[in-house]
Amino acid sequence: MTQRITIDPITRISGFLEISAELDQNTIVDAQAKGLLFRGFETMLKGRQPLDAVFFTERICGICSAAHSFASTLALEDALHVYTSNNDKYLREIIHGFEFVQNHLRHFYLMLMPCFVKITSPPIVNVEQYSDFRIPEEGTARLQEHYRQGIEFSMLAHEGQAVLGAKAPHHHGIFPGGVVSDLTAYKIVKVRSYIRQLLTFVSTVMREDTEVIAYYYPDYYEMGISYPNFLSYGVFDNAEESIHYVGPGVLMNGELQEFSPDNITKQVNYAWFNSSNEADEVNPEKKDAYTFIKAPRYANNPMEVGPLARMLISGNYQGGHSCMDRIYARMLETEKILNIMNNLTDLLELLPNGQRRLSIPDISQGAGLVDTTRGSLGHWISIGNKVIDHYSIITPSNWNLSPKDADGNPGVIEKALIGTVIADINSPVEIGRIVRSFDPCVSCATHLIGRNGDRITIELPV
Amino acid sequence: MACPLTDGKRMTAKRLAEEAVLRVMNQSETKMNAIWLETSGCSGNIISFLNSSNPNAYEVLTSIVNLTYDNSIMGEEGEAAYDKFLETLNTEFILLVDGAVSTKDNGVYTIVAYYHGQRITAYEAVQLAGAKAKYVIAVGTCASYGGISSARPNPSGCRSVREVLNRTVIRLPCCPCHPDWIIGTIAHLVSFGMPELDSDGRPSVFYGTTIHDNCTRRGFFEAGNFAAALGEPGCMFRLGCRGPVTRTDCPRRKWNGYVNWPIGNNATCIGCAQAFFPDGMEPFVRY
Repeated sequence: MTQRITIDPITRISGFLEISAELDQNTIVDAQAKGLLFRGFETMLKGRQPLDAVFFTERICGICSAAHSFASTLALEDALHVYTSNNDKYLREIIHGFEFVQNHLRHFYLMLMPCFVKITSPPIVNVEQYSDFRIPEEGTARLQEHYRQGIEFSMLAHEGQAVLGAKAPHHHGIFPGGVVSDLTAYKIVKVRSYIRQLLTFVSTVMREDTEVIAYYYPDYYEMGISYPNFLSYGVFDNAEESIHYVGPGVLMNGELQEFSPDNITKQVNYAWFNSSNEADEVNPEKKDAYTFIKAPRYANNPMEVGPLARMLISGNYQGGHSCMDRIYARMLETEKILNIMNNLTDLLELLPNGQRRLSIPDISQGAGLVDTTRGSLGHWISIGNKVIDHYSIITPSNWNLSPKDADGNPGVIEKALIGTVIADINSPVEIGRIVRSFDPCVSCATHLIGRNGDRITIELPV
Repeated sequence: MACPLTDGKRMTAKRLAEEAVLRVMNQSETKMNAIWLETSGCSGNIISFLNSSNPNAYEVLTSIVNLTYDNSIMGEEGEAAYDKFLETLNTEFILLVDGAVSTKDNGVYTIVAYYHGQRITAYEAVQLAGAKAKYVIAVGTCASYGGISSARPNPSGCRSVREVLNRTVIRLPCCPCHPDWIIGTIAHLVSFGMPELDSDGRPSVFYGTTIHDNCTRRGFFEAGNFAAALGEPGCMFRLGCRGPVTRTDCPRRKWNGYVNWPIGNNATCIGCAQAFFPDGMEPFVRY
């Protein structure tokens, strides 16, 4: 006998997500991830000034706004043929780095931890509906104190970003040509001070907390496994070893392959859109559709993106592909990125930033592909008559939260849920844990437009 | 009316918050409940709230106000989460709306919960809580005026909170809203009741002056020294800076532990606290 469980809202993520799972006895046999927020950014962008895309698109997401300003800046630099100096590139990588740290700390402490640890203060975080909390009282008290510190340190990461980016979220720092900020010796030592405080916290407290959770929940190394397919566009992809993290790459069934953007397609079979390239063709009445999120595929494969994908592709993680591997890899990545940021500050020189008046071509195209906090983010811009003619975005959560495709393959998070055994179907705590291990963001995911199966053929920026 | 400049310095969020904590501790005031309802937006205002440094978000949530519902940080999920929302409606509470309200097709573009077999739209939840709340605060520009969520052609029919609720709404615009303005307003409501609002519903203490009034580059403007590109010293008015029309205390308060702000970082003010942001504030950078 089958039975359906629906959880909505999946709280402690960004945006509005509903998970609907069909169970046979205690095993999930089908799952649907439903993104239930639509604003239509690409439609809004049509006709606007190209340079305004930087400040406009960062407002897609309040927790990863620097990701969108970074990708839109890359797309504009590609379209406008703008050169950027290494010094400015390093500065914006530091700004982006603070976004990673802020996001990963907020995700781990505020969003994920209450799934596994009985946090009771502040009272809003307390969970009464589930009882599978395994960490003894003393350990829980320590983690409760670390939760409080997690709020402070994630705030501190955004403060570091603001030193170079004016404010956070929705910063004014990254812009075509590099950054707008002036660099001073004071800013360098100030930024370095934030990085070192954060590194100390991550490499001691966050590492300990992750290991405690992994110790008490070893079964989650066997749960939440999705496709063995991973994608990264690369980030901190610098030549020097000390500041290099990961280049563009694909890991398909254990085999490392070269990434080619020509292999990306997007489908709308199960999304509330007509097969059209206009977002105002949104159609909430569409038969069989169940989400505002479209389905990107790579060579027809659903791909997992995010910290685990990057750590596997870069050879920095040798573990498996489970819920707990995802959590562990995110912690290791936070430490890795802080070390890179620290090394980047050593390379900074007190040079003027690369800003100059930019001229907008009548017609041009550009692509900005970069890995960000949650995975691979692509912005594609097409300029006509000096304004935005077409703007297309595929966010990391598009990849992870996508619905079924034309071949009937479930999306990555759906696949991770299928096969999961729910110990007590009146208390399905497992679903939220697995879903949150991906750090999904619906605010970002529901803006994609494009023809059914449209092939994206714009080349990577140089 | 007192001078907004001196008032702004004296009545900082920290002072207000300290006063509120004292009153709650002395039990002259009880901790009021609050609902933080995210609607059509980016979750940036709750992140900005969590960026508060003095007092920080943990202190606010344990000492000043009893937040019972917020999608981004609450422990419960599914129906148990929405139960918290419904339970709070029968108490004295502050409703904070974060995001615009999608009204097209009865609001199906933003679903906040699935409850007893029914999808609950953000539109419905705002009306439900808005009718019962003691105070309603629109946090951020989307909630205050529609903001970027309602940018033309407004595909999801987003409207401001005041447009869908026929009652007094305190507007705290800016994208995102500064945490001091949120906490300062909550603390004022808890300790002293309704703060003084301007004709647009904004607390005068935070929105009483324009950015241009207190801009660190005002001297360049007066001297006629204008920047020709971002990154140059000089007033950025000719690059499209919206400081002259934008009413916030950004230049004096600054952001994120008070370390920086857009014009201080060589960038134009894009008018993100204004009623016609973004459509009426573009281009953000004029070359």
